[in-house]
Amino acid sequence: MDVLTVKNLSVSFYRESGEITAVKNVSFTLRAGEILVIMGDTGCGKSVLCKSIVKLLPDIAKIKTGQIYFQGKEITGYTEKEMQKLRGTSFSMVFQNPMTALNPCMSVGAQIAEAVRLRQPGISRKALRSRVMELLKLVGLDRPEERAGQYPVHFSGGMAQRCVIAIALAANPEILFADEPTTSLDAGMQAQILGLLLELREKLGMSMIFITHNPEVAVRMADRVALMRGGELYRIGDAEEIFEETIHNNH
Amino acid sequence: MRKPYITIIDELSKFALSLFLLSVLVFTMSRLAPGDPLYSYYGDRVEKMGTQEQEAARERLGLHAPIPVQYVQWMKGALHGDFGISYKYKTDVKEVIADRIGNTLLLGGLGFVIIFVLALLLGLFCAWREDKAADRVVCGIGTVTSCIPEFWLSLVLILVFAVWLGWLPSSGAYSVGMERNPADRGSHLILPLAVVVLGHLWYYAYLVRNRLLEETRADYVLLARMKGLSGKQVLYRHCLRNAMPSYLSMMAIALPHILGGTYVVETVFSYPGIGTLAYESARYQDYNLLMLVSLMTGGLVIFGNMLARIINVWIDPRMSLKSGGMSGEVREF
Amino acid sequence: MKKGFPGISLAVLTIVVACCLACEIIMTKDPAYMDLANGNTAPCRTFLFGTDAMGRDLFSMIWYGGRVSLFIGFFATLISTVTAVLVGSVSGYAPAWIDGAIMWLTDIVLSIPGLLLTVFLQAVLGSAGAWGLAVVIGLTSWMSMAKVVRTEVLQLKNTDYVLAASCLGGGFFHILRRHLAPNFIPSVLFMVVMNVRNAIVAESTLSFMGIGLPVEVISWGSMLSLSENALLSRSWWTVLAPGIFLVMTLLCLTNLGNYLRKSGNKRHSNL
Repeated sequence: MDVLTVKNLSVSFYRESGEITAVKNVSFTLRAGEILVIMGDTGCGKSVLCKSIVKLLPDIAKIKTGQIYFQGKEITGYTEKEMQKLRGTSFSMVFQNPMTALNPCMSVGAQIAEAVRLRQPGISRKALRSRVMELLKLVGLDRPEERAGQYPVHFSGGMAQRCVIAIALAANPEILFADEPTTSLDAGMQAQILGLLLELREKLGMSMIFITHNPEVAVRMADRVALMRGGELYRIGDAEEIFEETIHNNH
Repeated sequence: MRKPYITIIDELSKFALSLFLLSVLVFTMSRLAPGDPLYSYYGDRVEKMGTQEQEAARERLGLHAPIPVQYVQWMKGALHGDFGISYKYKTDVKEVIADRIGNTLLLGGLGFVIIFVLALLLGLFCAWREDKAADRVVCGIGTVTSCIPEFWLSLVLILVFAVWLGWLPSSGAYSVGMERNPADRGSHLILPLAVVVLGHLWYYAYLVRNRLLEETRADYVLLARMKGLSGKQVLYRHCLRNAMPSYLSMMAIALPHILGGTYVVETVFSYPGIGTLAYESARYQDYNLLMLVSLMTGGLVIFGNMLARIINVWIDPRMSLKSGGMSGEVREF
Repeated sequence: MKKGFPGISLAVLTIVVACCLACEIIMTKDPAYMDLANGNTAPCRTFLFGTDAMGRDLFSMIWYGGRVSLFIGFFATLISTVTAVLVGSVSGYAPAWIDGAIMWLTDIVLSIPGLLLTVFLQAVLGSAGAWGLAVVIGLTSWMSMAKVVRTEVLQLKNTDYVLAASCLGGGFFHILRRHLAPNFIPSVLFMVVMNVRNAIVAESTLSFMGIGLPVEVISWGSMLSLSENALLSRSWWTVLAPGIFLVMTLLCLTNLGNYLRKSGNKRHSNL
């Protein structure tokens, strides 16, 4: 079954200097439980594509044409209110730089608790606390009781990214968007986080759109791969097929 | 990470040292400036006094000794709580100040509280409506008010509300014999208070607005919105919270400026407060009065700066890893 | 033209400055002449903005006096900017303990009541003219800019190209001129414009309080120093005419300053 379908999506930025089309006529589908890797160089529009699906683009960017379907329902014209609901329950995102993505002035536990409370409004304090601990353990942080009270400055990049993932999981999302989640981490951490994401996919059965510019990361993560260049999605297919093709072309 | 109590001891000794240096500077400056304090004491009668009489008067007021000796004398008294007498009012300077400080605290204190609340609300409102019509209108009005010198605003308000409309009194803190009448005092307070508030409000509101706008551009806003929070909720729960440490430290620095900066307003409205005292004593060499007033206002400034630093280090988790930030700004990593 | 460019402000400011500089052409009367028979005359055809209590023509005084006010604004800013850049860059560039000492002293100077500092400096300088007042205002208003310069220098000090320059044996002033100054000029520019504004405010306030320019030296401030009496005689024009010009000039300067500051910020809100 397709969880997400994007048809002929174009996104433009309207600046004083004129219109810039960042995403051109992109179509793809995301199947339930699969990891779709969107790969391309910096500035090819993959991140804009991702943010336009969850509607987190700045005011100057507009979806020009195309439709987005989530679980068969069109969400292209959803209002901000409706999108908020979707973001809190079905869509989650992991960002490139965990140190700036976490609020520096709020304890990590409070930030996770906020996400849990948005999903389950009437939750009791006790249940909330145990859910936060559960999430921290789920993403592999040891000593969660102690960790929950700390601030992002006390965390290394890898640990901070685990917290961001915990926040993302608080919503029990159908789709997890991962926007270059390992780019800002060092190699060892990178491998750990990728492993964690794969493991979580197995455990929770969510689908994932994984954005990266790094082919090695793509090989490790992908069920299917979409290649982007200059705002266009020019190739999509099974991972093995595409990587074989690329290797073939390079030789 | 430094231990908090060490920071406190550190800051307190720095505070004492600053105050001491301030007293030396003010003492020396006031005595080096030309002008004869005898005029302050005797008024025009000085001109009729002979040289010998003047010398005797100087001797009595302790003004004949070299400046360092005078300073030590003053310091000895000050450490025992004796700050000398005011030349003009001929009584203990503490009494002169005690008579007036209530008025200034009322004007400056109330002004500060109003500015504190309104600046935050206006800043929030403008940040929320960034670049929309409402924001532009408020910014426009605010910029205009911030450009009006306090004394001229006072004059115009007197012209309109006292001279033309006759609604409000133009000077003093109360009408004769109505010292204890709150309504009368209130009506005397409205115009000076309006000037104090309008004179400072936009400066701080605009800083709050820009600080919040900086926050709205941070990455954590995206994560917070991804949780399902609305833009407004993110502004209140996240951006405001992060801007709060710098707002509080900013207002700690603002406190002495607002409280101690009322002298122009007090002068125009002939409002009997510390500001007018400071002005008189600086101009007419009322040394002892000048010293105490300067130490109070200057001490408040130093205290405000100290408070700002402590706020930065203590309540902002971003700062907790760094030792003592110098400036009043909070920086992100 | 870029969005938000303060065209109107710049135009008004240019006109005001030009008219003040060329006041001889515009003035309809001798601004210093006291036509005592026509004191406190309301605006009319002969006296466009009316006359003050001493019978001087306000319209002519505004342009003539504006010259003095603007001069004080610019000259005071020149002094405060030079002082601020020197103190700020020395402080930022020097070893930490000197830096700490300088900043601490700056804080103490800041805590001396501004009024006392002004009265003192004026007494020491001994002149009540426009030059003297400009120096006094300049010397009492460099502190906050010095702090900004220092912060900028501190950040730049450890960047690679400054380190490289000092490794190559560049002297302090060479490094200041070639490497440091170009980097902090944008953020200082805003403060310079604001300092011009604040100096004009200071001139008018001090003159109004009677510790700036005397009534005979015509400036926007000294014109307004008569206005407290004008309130009694209800001659509103002596309050409003110079004041409106003053506020208008200040507003134009503020808009200009805000534009300079804003033009650095191009990012979009995530809200």
